[in-house]
Amino acid sequence: MRVLYRGIALLLFAGACRPSQPDRAQQTTQQTVTTAAPAQDTFAGTTATLSRPAPAPSPPGGWLLHAVRTDSQPGYDRVVFEFAGDSLPGYHIEYATRPVVRCGSGDPVAVSGGGRLVVRFEPARAHDDQGNAAVAPLPRAMAPRLPAVKELQLVCDFEGQVEWVLGVAATAPYRVTEAPPRLMLDVRHGP
Amino acid sequence: MKPVVARLTPALLLAAACRGSPTGGENPPCPTSTSPLASAQAASPSRSSPFDSVFAAAGREFRVPPELLKAIAWVETRWQMVEGREEFPGQAPAFGVMALRGQALERGAALAGVTAEQARRDAVANIRAAAALFHAYAAQGASWSDAVATYSGIDVAAGRAAYVAAVGRAGLAPRAAPAAGAAPCPPPAPDYGAAVWRPSPNFDQRATDSTGAIHMAIIHTCESNYASCWSWLTNSVSQVSAHYVVSEDGSEISQLVLERDRAWHIAALYDCTLNRQHHCTLNDVQSNHFTVGIEHAGFVSQDSFPASQLAASAALLCDITRDRGIPRDWQHIVGHGQLQPANRTDPGPNWPWIPYLHRVQAACGEVVVDDSTAYNDSAVATVAVPAGWVASDTTPDYYGGGYRWASTALGATDGVEFSFRVAAAGARTLDARWTSGANRSPRAAYVVIAATGDTLATVIVDQTAAGGAWHTLGTWTFPVGWSRVVLQRRDTSGFVVVADAVRVR
Repeated sequence: MRVLYRGIALLLFAGACRPSQPDRAQQTTQQTVTTAAPAQDTFAGTTATLSRPAPAPSPPGGWLLHAVRTDSQPGYDRVVFEFAGDSLPGYHIEYATRPVVRCGSGDPVAVSGGGRLVVRFEPARAHDDQGNAAVAPLPRAMAPRLPAVKELQLVCDFEGQVEWVLGVAATAPYRVTEAPPRLMLDVRHGP
Repeated sequence: MKPVVARLTPALLLAAACRGSPTGGENPPCPTSTSPLASAQAASPSRSSPFDSVFAAAGREFRVPPELLKAIAWVETRWQMVEGREEFPGQAPAFGVMALRGQALERGAALAGVTAEQARRDAVANIRAAAALFHAYAAQGASWSDAVATYSGIDVAAGRAAYVAAVGRAGLAPRAAPAAGAAPCPPPAPDYGAAVWRPSPNFDQRATDSTGAIHMAIIHTCESNYASCWSWLTNSVSQVSAHYVVSEDGSEISQLVLERDRAWHIAALYDCTLNRQHHCTLNDVQSNHFTVGIEHAGFVSQDSFPASQLAASAALLCDITRDRGIPRDWQHIVGHGQLQPANRTDPGPNWPWIPYLHRVQAACGEVVVDDSTAYNDSAVATVAVPAGWVASDTTPDYYGGGYRWASTALGATDGVEFSFRVAAAGARTLDARWTSGANRSPRAAYVVIAATGDTLATVIVDQTAAGGAWHTLGTWTFPVGWSRVVLQRRDTSGFVVVADAVRVR
């Protein structure tokens, strides 16, 4: 009953406001999108900071981020951060109110969209022990141009911190779903 | 020490660096950067191609030096759109300005988000596909030279080397002859002789004004093992670096960026309130501009650091501070987390800051006696502060955690005693440090007393000025044992005498 209700609300919402989105997964790796999101969903979400400390003990060198994927669902866009192993590092997610900079050079980072959602994982890395990137920041795939999520940039992979900034259309409510070893970040489509 | 230098192609390193100026016959200055990336960037071909704007855009989009794309295109096709035929069985035909073939073409097209057919027929799609492919190669290799070699698709080592050399030549001056008299520059060498030189492409130039002068060292831990740390910091994809990385046991140190260049190790803008109010004129300057970054294999959370690692790091830091004229104190040797508390804590709560600095000082042959026992190495330095001397940290640029002050008084005999142990008799130079101000004594008296009890000298200094730096009192011969310097406050009233620290070297 609840699902049906939410479905109706979403249909009304989607029909009133925008053409339907192509149901196409934007992938940043060769891996298949396997997220089992409900076909139709909406949520209140938050624009406040969400964070969770890392569980103990952490794996040596921190959790390894090895895939990032984006996908658009009716009503929201989803970014999936997938780690090696069967658990998640600590995370800290917030809308940036100050300039976002690269953590080594301090150079400011510009992203598309009206809002900048910063996602930081710790202790974590996105490279292997041989110094190779585990998630290649491929420029095209990192600019999916979805209704809410316009761009993703890896701004830090240094000293046990991995930080992404998402360029989003507006400072829209978001929610986080922990599905170890994946963390799913959904950003609501605009009004 | 040199194998990595040797592995970089001379063409990329030297030719780009030492090419003559197209407009003058003078020797060009040697480059301020030595990475293949920077050399390639400096080596803008003098001749324009029909695709310059495309090389530039694709280079920007995929973070590949446009000059490198342009040089590869010159070597491959002389900047023409080609439509290859299969010449030999097993060798896929080449397409476009960048001569992409077979699986490489398909991979590059996929990475750039174009179809293989577009990558074959369309010049923009072809160059973008090559740039995306090149980016992926660079992410795997240690250097741009390695990426060029991979791009060649040649299996034979000599052939790969020849290809890389050809690209190097194309990248420096494909048509114009070098200006007469342009001499080759020597290959780069590490600033620190004991370091293994593993150049990182992740650096740029320090500010050219006073904010770019090297002023302090930043201590980091890498949250990884040694090889993982330097490997990642030398990968162009990481966009991070440090000048040095010290291994877990101190048996090896890598230098990744020359000290004169700006490594990318600290994101924070400087804020002097985080550093004992030191040098507030640097506030809001990007901290990479005036710092040298030293990474240590290890973790913020570890209980302790190996003595051998601390010793190796201290020897390195002695060398840096001596060469750069950096004072060896806690304002100039600072933790990453201290200057960037918002999101960094390294090197962590168990980094032994005070003993570490004592190691640095010892490596440089000096002992400092502070006004606070907590900052002294009790084996060689002790202090006795009479009750009338007041602790303060109001005026910045003191040594340690603050200083003591007392008002002058006629007949006062309660001076601060800075004692130091001399293990082998001989000459020592003594320096004193104070914090200056208008109320200070213009004639503060330091009395130098040998272990035998003999007074060697009384040195008068003006404490109204030149605070926060070491000032030489003189050089004397000291016997074995504990000698001392006593700072007196005996004078006409109305002044303040400041006891901060004495240095023995």
